[in-house]
Amino acid sequence: MGISRTGLIAAVALALLWPLSPSRAIADGATRAAGIISGVATTKEAGPRPIRVTIDPQVCGQSLPDESILVDADGHLANVVLTIAGVKTPAPAETFVSNEKCAFVPRVSIMRPGGALKMSSKDPMLHTMHAAAADGRAFFNISIPIPNVTLSRSIDKAGVVTLSCSTHTWMRGYLVVTDERTSVTGPDGKFQIDGLPAGTYDLRIWHETLKAAPMKVVVKDGETTTANVTLGR
Amino acid sequence: MRVVLIAAVWLAIAIPASAQTPVIPMTVPEMWGAWCARCHGNDGRGKVSEPTVTVEPLDFTDCKIASAEPDVDWEAAIGYGGPAVGLSSQMPAFGDVLTTEQVQGFVRHLRAFCIEKGWPSGNLNLPRPIFTEKAFPEDELVFLPVATHDKHRPWEYEMSVVYERRFGRRAQLEAVLPMESVYVSSLDHPENGLGNIEIGLKYALTPHAIRYLLTAGFDVEFTTGAEGRLLDQHLPVYEPYLAAATMLGATYLQGQFKVEIPSPDSFKTRETIYNIYVGRDTSVFPNTWTLGLEFTGENKELWLTPQLRKGLTKTGALGAAVGVRLPLNEREEHGFAVVGYLLWEYREPVLSRR
Repeated sequence: MGISRTGLIAAVALALLWPLSPSRAIADGATRAAGIISGVATTKEAGPRPIRVTIDPQVCGQSLPDESILVDADGHLANVVLTIAGVKTPAPAETFVSNEKCAFVPRVSIMRPGGALKMSSKDPMLHTMHAAAADGRAFFNISIPIPNVTLSRSIDKAGVVTLSCSTHTWMRGYLVVTDERTSVTGPDGKFQIDGLPAGTYDLRIWHETLKAAPMKVVVKDGETTTANVTLGR
Repeated sequence: MRVVLIAAVWLAIAIPASAQTPVIPMTVPEMWGAWCARCHGNDGRGKVSEPTVTVEPLDFTDCKIASAEPDVDWEAAIGYGGPAVGLSSQMPAFGDVLTTEQVQGFVRHLRAFCIEKGWPSGNLNLPRPIFTEKAFPEDELVFLPVATHDKHRPWEYEMSVVYERRFGRRAQLEAVLPMESVYVSSLDHPENGLGNIEIGLKYALTPHAIRYLLTAGFDVEFTTGAEGRLLDQHLPVYEPYLAAATMLGATYLQGQFKVEIPSPDSFKTRETIYNIYVGRDTSVFPNTWTLGLEFTGENKELWLTPQLRKGLTKTGALGAAVGVRLPLNEREEHGFAVVGYLLWEYREPVLSRR
């Protein structure tokens, strides 16, 4: 019993295309008819007083803004992390955090589980990057005593990781380690999450100091859904 | 005039700049002053005017702390951070930015805070063998179980509790309290009870040597146990010995030569004990596995004991070993024994410091 040449070509083509076709269809569909969630994070809370610097004032300055609530005059809140629950979209493979004038820059970052955290310093003195889980367990604590070197570590476990410095006690940074779709608000409090297929999503809201309950957001193909969030204590 | 003006402008620029911008340190003492002294202090005492860590650092001027552990432990703490050796995670890792030589320089620097002479080097504080006496004085509580079996009699069991207390720079007191179950063929049942109590003293003879440690010891064994009762022998046995430790590369070598002399006049019935241990770690961390081979002899009877040791916590303050003692001669008479120990360095923190 023989197989015709046309049949063989068709079978090979089917075999090659079979595993690709479903995901490609979803990707194309998402691109064509993507919905968007956008909004603004606000709060009525006032920003804390500046931090008085007690060590290394020649680099850090005499005082530093306390960015645990970074809010502008109109109540726009920065460093709020908004997450679409269940939508897997890993962050870039590398996340960069720098020590600049005795502060972590950026203060809040998104990191892919197992991704590379690249750490550096622009300050000509000892900083350390002490990464700890919510229960206080340390992932690592590495020193960066000289500027312009980049060190790398990885964190596999999803969750919020706190960064601190063993020599400058006021320094705080946060890594939200997740493989879900996220956005971080800037100084204007705005965020936008695009490329979402139509559906109803749970929008989780995280901030280092303030809180807000999760929201249900309905997304329609090709439309932008506004989801403003208000955070409080 | 112009020269003066230029000099004044140069000073106006240069002096504030040097006062404001920290200089990148280049040598180990400079690095200590710029980095380590923030928590450990310039004098190594671990006390600073404005502490930024919540766990107080160790006092390196305390020679017992600065001298007792091997270089590799300190190098691991500096290179990988405190948690690598069970210390606080507030001690950061410097391994990414220092060379191996610089890390070793820091170890020399911190050891130099101990200014007293005569403390044996922690590099000769080697993992404890099962039978061979350590040359290095310790603060340990050790449980030593032995289960012996041969074809002439059922299993015999012994559990010795060893208490070791270091005092001064070079000395250690020791007490051994064994419980045993010895099979008595004439009674056809095991005799249970307290074994022979032993007390001892040892003293490091070569505290200044950096490559080897030689220790002299003297134990007195009181035949208070089942064996003594059966033999109607309640006289002490005097046991002088020498113990030695050295390293060949990364391989541990430990040895002991001991003579057991029953009192008062039985030098002719003395027994000669000779032990040699060879071992090697599988990593530089205190909770490493250590592979060991121990050759033991008593007069003309010879045994070989392959063994494994493991630090049970990251601090290394708990450790355990297990081995099998195999007779090399007179195999018909001597069976094999399952041996081991569980030790606790009771002056060290068992669990890691947060």
